[in-house]
Amino acid sequence: MYKLIKNTETNELGNVILRTTDNIYIPKHISNTDYQEYLEWVAEGNTPEPADE
Amino acid sequence: MSTIKVNNIQNANGTSAIAIDSSGVATFSKTLVPSSSMMYRNLIINGAMQVAQRATIVSGQGLGGYITVDRWSTSYVNPSAVWTHSQDTDVPSGQGFGYSFKMQCTTASAVGTNERLMVGQRFEGQMLQHLKKGTANAESLTLSFWVKSNKTGTYIANLYDTDNTRQISKAYTISSADTWEKKIITFAGDTTGTLDNDNNQSFILFFGLAVGTFETSGTLQTSWGSAVGTDRFVGQVNLGDAVNNYINITGIQLEVGDAATPFEHRPYDAELARCQRYYVIHNSNAVGDRLANGQGDSTSVVNFIVPVPTILRTYPVCGFNNLVCRNGVTNVTISSLGGINYSTTSNFVNVYFNTVSSVQGAGYMLRATDADGYIEFGAEL
Repeated sequence: MYKLIKNTETNELGNVILRTTDNIYIPKHISNTDYQEYLEWVAEGNTPEPADE
Repeated sequence: MSTIKVNNIQNANGTSAIAIDSSGVATFSKTLVPSSSMMYRNLIINGAMQVAQRATIVSGQGLGGYITVDRWSTSYVNPSAVWTHSQDTDVPSGQGFGYSFKMQCTTASAVGTNERLMVGQRFEGQMLQHLKKGTANAESLTLSFWVKSNKTGTYIANLYDTDNTRQISKAYTISSADTWEKKIITFAGDTTGTLDNDNNQSFILFFGLAVGTFETSGTLQTSWGSAVGTDRFVGQVNLGDAVNNYINITGIQLEVGDAATPFEHRPYDAELARCQRYYVIHNSNAVGDRLANGQGDSTSVVNFIVPVPTILRTYPVCGFNNLVCRNGVTNVTISSLGGINYSTTSNFVNVYFNTVSSVQGAGYMLRATDADGYIEFGAEL
């Protein structure tokens, strides 16, 4: 459902998460309601797919 | 009933206040002072369903969210029926509307115990401070709208205060099948629970369409109070119990006071600008269209400045389709979006695309590979 994304320049995790159901990139910003839903999803014990290496 | 025939109204000192000419035109000689503001009195954005940036019709939709007309979202919980959403041209005659929002059932189902389908609009707290909610001067609100359905019966409108988990619900009746009807509902002011003065969600207006017993088994909560789930949509018909059941709705106005005033028709550009605070899309019309300017940050990242026409509510989500980074005659493939930067004082979004082989320092255009190319930003509540 969600996948972590790397910034390929820094090879570190970027400030976005990919929602794989609709290919929407969600910013890690608390006022974004989609990010709030992601945090709730994680709090329920779910784990996002790891970023591509 | 009685009639007063005059052509001038004066105050006690003989100063003219209102002159009425032979055709009935009234001219106020001094300032007209309404009991509440007449400007922007409709709290609803896109109440006339003019704006549909995402799509005008989507079929087979089983999930919630923003589908067609801007600012109106559908909330599905455990959905079983399937619907087509559309911006429709069926409107009440002679009222000045061009569009309505339509939902039509394509797969029918009995409503499940824990199922819910609602259409609603969500509000920022900073847009609602004049309601004086949570004070002794709390304002009442009047909801007016036009509605049409083949399924007559009881429907429920619900106001939900998400800051304080409070609610009020009112029932209305669709009396005649396949006939436009105007409905007016007044909600009392709530003297409990102030709304946060910020850009986050504080309030939701919901229209119930199909709701299970988890929100219908109690007594309809017609006064403001702590939200009780079972009291929320008591009496709501199941619009999804037969294929081709439908509902059209337009002219939705929510305003301060105990009376409904005529619908505040706003120009399309003004309504679009208000919608764009929450969602913006840059579409291509043909292969080769350029949507933004950028620069190669490295051999693997291109950074674009993408303009947005107004300040977005918050850091947006981003989606894109059929785009490449173009440097002269060379296309660089985008592998993913690596980051977004945004400031709520800026009318642009900084987007970092991970690429296969960009050139550091080179200039790039964000180029559509066909007529379906787009980049979109969403900052919905």
